[in-house]
Amino acid sequence: MDLIKLSLAQIAPVPGLLTHNAEKHLEYIDRAKQAGSELVIFPELSLTGYFLKDAVYDSAINLNDIIVNNIAADKVKDRNIGNGGYRNTINNKNEIKNKNHEIKDNNCELDLKKSNDRILDGLLDKSGEIAIIAGFVESDEDFNFYNSTCCLSGGNILHIHRKVYLPTYGMFEEMRYFKQGKAFGVFDILGTKASILTCEDAWHLSSSYIAVNKGAKLIIINSASPARGIEEENDKFSSVKMWEELLSVIAFYYKSYVIYVNRVGFEDGIGFSGGSCVFSPNGTKDYCLDYLDEGLLNIELNLDFLKNERFKTPILRDENLDITLKELNGIINR
Amino acid sequence: MMLNQHLPKIDSTNFKNINKLLMNFIREEVGRTGVNKIVLGLSGGIDSAVSCYLAAAALGSENVSAVMMPYKTSSSKSLEDAMQVVKDLNINYYIAYITDQIDSYFAQPVYNKSYYNNSSLDFEKKYNENDYELKLRMGNKMARERMSILYDYSYILNSLVLGTSNKSELLLGYGTIYGDMASAINPIGDIYKTQIYQLAKYLGIPDSLIKKAPSADLWQDQSDEEELGFTYKLADEIMFLLIDKMYKPEVVISMGYAPDVIEKIYNKIKKSQFKRRLPLIAKVSQRTINVDFRYLRDWV
Repeated sequence: MDLIKLSLAQIAPVPGLLTHNAEKHLEYIDRAKQAGSELVIFPELSLTGYFLKDAVYDSAINLNDIIVNNIAADKVKDRNIGNGGYRNTINNKNEIKNKNHEIKDNNCELDLKKSNDRILDGLLDKSGEIAIIAGFVESDEDFNFYNSTCCLSGGNILHIHRKVYLPTYGMFEEMRYFKQGKAFGVFDILGTKASILTCEDAWHLSSSYIAVNKGAKLIIINSASPARGIEEENDKFSSVKMWEELLSVIAFYYKSYVIYVNRVGFEDGIGFSGGSCVFSPNGTKDYCLDYLDEGLLNIELNLDFLKNERFKTPILRDENLDITLKELNGIINR
Repeated sequence: MMLNQHLPKIDSTNFKNINKLLMNFIREEVGRTGVNKIVLGLSGGIDSAVSCYLAAAALGSENVSAVMMPYKTSSSKSLEDAMQVVKDLNINYYIAYITDQIDSYFAQPVYNKSYYNNSSLDFEKKYNENDYELKLRMGNKMARERMSILYDYSYILNSLVLGTSNKSELLLGYGTIYGDMASAINPIGDIYKTQIYQLAKYLGIPDSLIKKAPSADLWQDQSDEEELGFTYKLADEIMFLLIDKMYKPEVVISMGYAPDVIEKIYNKIKKSQFKRRLPLIAKVSQRTINVDFRYLRDWV
């Protein structure tokens, strides 16, 4: 049997308290590790909180300045990250060691508070034992900010997804602060291929279409979705109902495992719904955490089941990318 | 299709999630401030009772304090109903009468003179004559007196003031700015009055509170619905379409609701917008509070 063991960490990050949030990550990472998981997934902006507003400016981590700890640094190799537009610049072991030394000499509390770049240290360290997917505010060398998610593995940054579709309507104002990502990357993990879509990304069906056609078997959706809308004789909030219908569609029609990790907790009266869950390639919900409460879900995915589903219903095999491309060109050049 | 759009009822199925959301809200937003206690004004009405039951369930009875603040004309039934809540939940309570300070204020002739430009005005007499304007002033003054007492208790008890205004009255502006509308956090401000009754039923609130007619009890036999000129049931249906569904008034008219009521409600919502916002600040600098100095209130 081709099994993957992973954990969904449904946490309530505190907006702006990066150190506190990072500590909570480490606690959940340890629990996931103890449960035998090879990967633990946190929600969108799990290290920073969601409705940051102007605090986006204070919460950003610049990956180019990141200090990788010694254990992790030993494992750092020259490599590119499989996401369009982003290149890992943590590629020089000596340089990293020097930087690390400088920080140690200057190890006063104020410096630590000033720099968010060490926030990922603990996670990078732990990623030698278990792969970690976590959300954070990324800033780049041009001082742009992104709603980003990193996948850490083996003490290294394996993949970065910069959220592409930034909701800026109703209660959301992401485009006011963040720059759009440019790609839906696919990366190798746990012997298969995965893609990360962040919240609103998944509401655009083109994103999962791209991901599965690039080979993704696991569609990992991290989100910060507020609970909203009540309906008669429905034990779910309207927003939750819509999400679960969407996840089922993606899982069934793209014959993939859909792993949804949503946050909980409140920010200025807005409560995030939780209900992190996994949908199988037959469109059914296999695992689910409670709504509105923190929790860790340790699960096993069977890739043999995915192979079976893809053989029985070969929608992806028959997908005609040429027609799609031709039609898309027609639409764009209209 | 459109005609099926109506305000959703809180029923036994969706209650579980709503209740959990509201309890988590109170627990987390209170806890975040470093205190774990609340204080609220308990009027004997349905709204403050709902807030109180939610708070007691979220924080534990020992962390909830109720203050009853009757004026001499307040209905004795109100205090009885409030006491029933106190006993049912086994919470701390305080009774602070506001008659003396209200009467003392309105007995001062200087205010009478400047307001009416009539030095011979007899306020006691005018009040007895059912003067609406005076009643309104006195009602607002009482609401602000109660607010002032609650915030003093907030300090004494190291507790946050819990809000008790529902969505209907917040939208209609049927409340006193810096009076009953003032609070630190409000668990029921996004729930219409019609839904408050449904919620109350599932929270196990005594029938005597659920069944009586809604009243601000600022004067004898005051009735919300009489004063507003429409029932909450009708207003809530219309406001659900105007606000939650964001339909334009002409669309709501086309759905069969009376144009004059829609217009009345729409105007009340617009005219009371100031009550729902912080005071306007003249922008002088590059970065102005709440304009381009933008942080969550939960900012840390």
